[in-house]
Amino acid sequence: MKISQQFRLFLTVFGLLGFGIFLSGCGSAESGETLRVWAHQGQEAENQAMREIVASFNEAHAIAGIRAEIEFFPDHQYSERIAAGAAAGDLPDIMDLDGPTLARYVDAGLLAPLDDDFSEAELADFLPTIIAQGTIDDRLYALGAFDSALVLYYDREILAAAGVTPPNEDRPWTWDEFLAACATLKEAGVDPVSLHMDESADEWYTYAFSPVIWSAGGSLMDPDTGRIEGVLNAPENIEALRQWQQLFALDYADNSPVEPNPFGLGKTAMDWSGHWMARSHLEAKREALGAAPLPVVGEHRAAASGSWAWAMLSTSDRPDVAAKFLRWVVSTENGIVPIVRANGAVPARRSAFEAFPEYEEIPYRLFKRQLTEHGRPRPQTPHYPALTRNFAEALRDIANGADPAETLTRAATQAQAVADR
Amino acid sequence: MKNVRVTAKRLPETWTAWGFLAPALVLLGLFVLWPTLRALFWSFTDADLLRPQQDQSRGMANYSVLLNDPRFRQAFFNTALFALMVVPVQTVFSFFLALWVNRPEPYWRWLRTVFFVPVVVSLPVLAILWTLLYQPVRGEEMGLINALITGIGLPGQRWLRDPTLALPALAFMSVWQGAGFQMLIFLAGLQNLNAETLEAARIDGAGPLQRLRYVILPSMKNSIIFVVTATLILSFRLFAQPYLMTGGGPDGRTRSLIQFIYETTFQDRNLGLASAGVILFLFIVAFLTLMQRLAGKEEKS
Amino acid sequence: MSRGGKRLAGWIASGLVALFFLLPLIWMVHASFRPENRIFAGGFFGVLDFSDLHVGNYPAAWRRASMGRAMVVSLTQAAGIIGIGLLVNSLAAYAFARMDFRGKNPLFALVVALIILPVEVLAVPLFLTARDLGLTGGMAPTMGALILPFAAKAFNIYFLRQHFLSLPMELEEAARVDGASTFRIYWNIALPSIRPALATVIVLDVLTHWSDFIWPLIVCTREETRTVQIGLANLFTEPPIQYGHILAAAVIATLPVVLVFRLAQRHMVASQSNVGIK
Repeated sequence: MKISQQFRLFLTVFGLLGFGIFLSGCGSAESGETLRVWAHQGQEAENQAMREIVASFNEAHAIAGIRAEIEFFPDHQYSERIAAGAAAGDLPDIMDLDGPTLARYVDAGLLAPLDDDFSEAELADFLPTIIAQGTIDDRLYALGAFDSALVLYYDREILAAAGVTPPNEDRPWTWDEFLAACATLKEAGVDPVSLHMDESADEWYTYAFSPVIWSAGGSLMDPDTGRIEGVLNAPENIEALRQWQQLFALDYADNSPVEPNPFGLGKTAMDWSGHWMARSHLEAKREALGAAPLPVVGEHRAAASGSWAWAMLSTSDRPDVAAKFLRWVVSTENGIVPIVRANGAVPARRSAFEAFPEYEEIPYRLFKRQLTEHGRPRPQTPHYPALTRNFAEALRDIANGADPAETLTRAATQAQAVADR
Repeated sequence: MKNVRVTAKRLPETWTAWGFLAPALVLLGLFVLWPTLRALFWSFTDADLLRPQQDQSRGMANYSVLLNDPRFRQAFFNTALFALMVVPVQTVFSFFLALWVNRPEPYWRWLRTVFFVPVVVSLPVLAILWTLLYQPVRGEEMGLINALITGIGLPGQRWLRDPTLALPALAFMSVWQGAGFQMLIFLAGLQNLNAETLEAARIDGAGPLQRLRYVILPSMKNSIIFVVTATLILSFRLFAQPYLMTGGGPDGRTRSLIQFIYETTFQDRNLGLASAGVILFLFIVAFLTLMQRLAGKEEKS
Repeated sequence: MSRGGKRLAGWIASGLVALFFLLPLIWMVHASFRPENRIFAGGFFGVLDFSDLHVGNYPAAWRRASMGRAMVVSLTQAAGIIGIGLLVNSLAAYAFARMDFRGKNPLFALVVALIILPVEVLAVPLFLTARDLGLTGGMAPTMGALILPFAAKAFNIYFLRQHFLSLPMELEEAARVDGASTFRIYWNIALPSIRPALATVIVLDVLTHWSDFIWPLIVCTREETRTVQIGLANLFTEPPIQYGHILAAAVIATLPVVLVFRLAQRHMVASQSNVGIK
């Protein structure tokens, strides 16, 4: 065959293939009988557990002719996907949302309130952080099956070897005590603490270091007026971050780590990290693993909380079925226990803790205690993405040596400008 | 022979022409022109990404907000600076690469392929790879770039974390990736270069610089204009690298125009403002392209 | 300097420049075979350390990023864009090159102007258009959304027109005298004659769309419709973050493009001479 013939054959085949795909695309239609569910994509085990929960829901409701179908989206795609879906009128009946983004979707009128679907007695079973995260303007819009917790893990053996007295589970270190411990560790030749600062400024920064500001009595935003400028850059916040900056200025923490989990490998003595590291840290350290509340700059104790929570779409044409599904995924037996088994998060309901004997032990005991006593959700505002983006960038730059006052003020001004539009 | 075509039936030819054009025009109209017009329309409204079909007119307000927004200005400045670094460096570098490897022996052909290899790396792979290459020094561990410069005795740098180095670091990476492609275009242009003219110039005693100035450059004008225009447009489309590598930081020094538009659309959900950004972006790129063409024409006359 | 010395200097210089282009990629391939805690080990000469290489990252990356499925999606996308694109763009280019009709010049100017419009900034309006056309949701509509918006390309039309213009008329005119239809002339004579240009367009399209990131992020809503780049980005954001897996996936994601380039390369060589924009 001559080359020119090959070429025309190639053209024809691919042309036909392309048009075939196009035509088949025009023909297929979506079936409208099933309940559409969107969820964020977690680790493999978590997705698998979620699929099984959906399967058990379908099995239990097969007689009623109800069927749910779930689609997963990776984190970095999820909010784009929801936004594009909203713009195109292509949204599911029910979806899970990251706690702080809730206000944005409530503000856009995308979500239906859940107050009528749950009794007060039922709601009393949920952790206070779950209710606080799901409530906007006194109406409940979302309920999660689990929550998150953030602690200071430490290696008892490394601390003991350096002569550092471990922090107390009941009383967090003051910032001075924390810095002093870091100094001692550093002198002993150990890298004191990992903070998981990677290159891009993302939600981790806001989640992990808002407690520093809260502990000094500050806030990211005025909860009543929604004002950011003058609040985010209040003097106590600037001072708190000046203290925080010491960690990097004195080289106690790495602001651009190469290694994702240095603590697990024994390269650092302490780890400022979340519940999701508990399993692997326990495996690596066993008895040597300790955990304490995060160090505080001021008098105020506030623990980070917030995670994915389920919400119903106001556009759903079968809200009763959607409500059934929501009840299923946040029920202790059918939803919470299997998902928490898979992802190791903190169960959202008090009644679920019985299924997890590890909550008698460190670090789990601390997670529960923090969430029931000191948990505080991140600010609820429709402009949260602008707030967290600017705050996270400010944190990254401050860790990098930028002046806290100037950086925080610029972040506040820019976030306020977006909110004012 | 020549007049066969001229006498060919006029009217049927018009219909045939439209038949040939129709598929492309329909697709371009649907997927390029129509979305652009939609963006133009939104740019005068307060369109909200999450609340479609409730747009109120805002007149020119989006444009004035945008022009006064320090983040937009910074994004424009960053993008322009990026282009200013990439375009001259990449053009000159790839031009000399082309002159250098423009020889028939297999060794040089093989070398051409080597120089082209980075072009096949897709942008997300590129971003991830260079994030690791730029890793700062931490004890024994460091990225390859720092390993190289500390190896010759210079201090390691925190490339993507340093406000003054981050954008040049992204530009360097772009030059590394794109130079091989521009080199191929220059090599193609060199085929038009008359070897006899060049040889004659050499015999007349013209030095390498004179040959470059009077023989090579004039005959390469079209290729140069093409390369500069294409590199400029591609530089202005900067997105995946800062989005994946620096998140626009440090100090917002790597946030690009497209990243600004992306964040305004999807995070701030301000479709109206973002659309105004799109329109301004198109104006900027159209203006630059036009300048290029005018500059090219002037030289000709 | 002696002739031999000059030649040696040339070889050394070219070797260094070649190293500049290749080293990052060599590092990528090498590190993709290293265990997780040794990725950055050994400094600059770490790439010469072959003691601890293993292939374990590859199956893990393949599985975690669902590479098999993603490859099918990405390759279908590329094939669709190339197939439909070559046809519609060359048809239009031929009309602009060889036919006379009213409004030709302004229309061509408009097409050239469209070259500068980048899809990434138009993602939202484009998504609404795709939605209006029913190109959202399942596998087949998503493939349509991945392919159709990029099939017709102003630059390709412009580029192919330049090549058609540079063909000598004689063959086509002879065929016309023999009574061949315009389409037959285009299909049997003109198209095969610009084969190198078509090969160039194929390579450019593959390079461009293999990098697509924003658009698949928005339209690939189901797991089974994710492209290679989305799968790769997932590894970068989805815990546990393992550089070894990421690098292995990056190598896997690069191989098809290398292959396409190798295949098209020998067709491309002659094509470049008409590339200059006037």
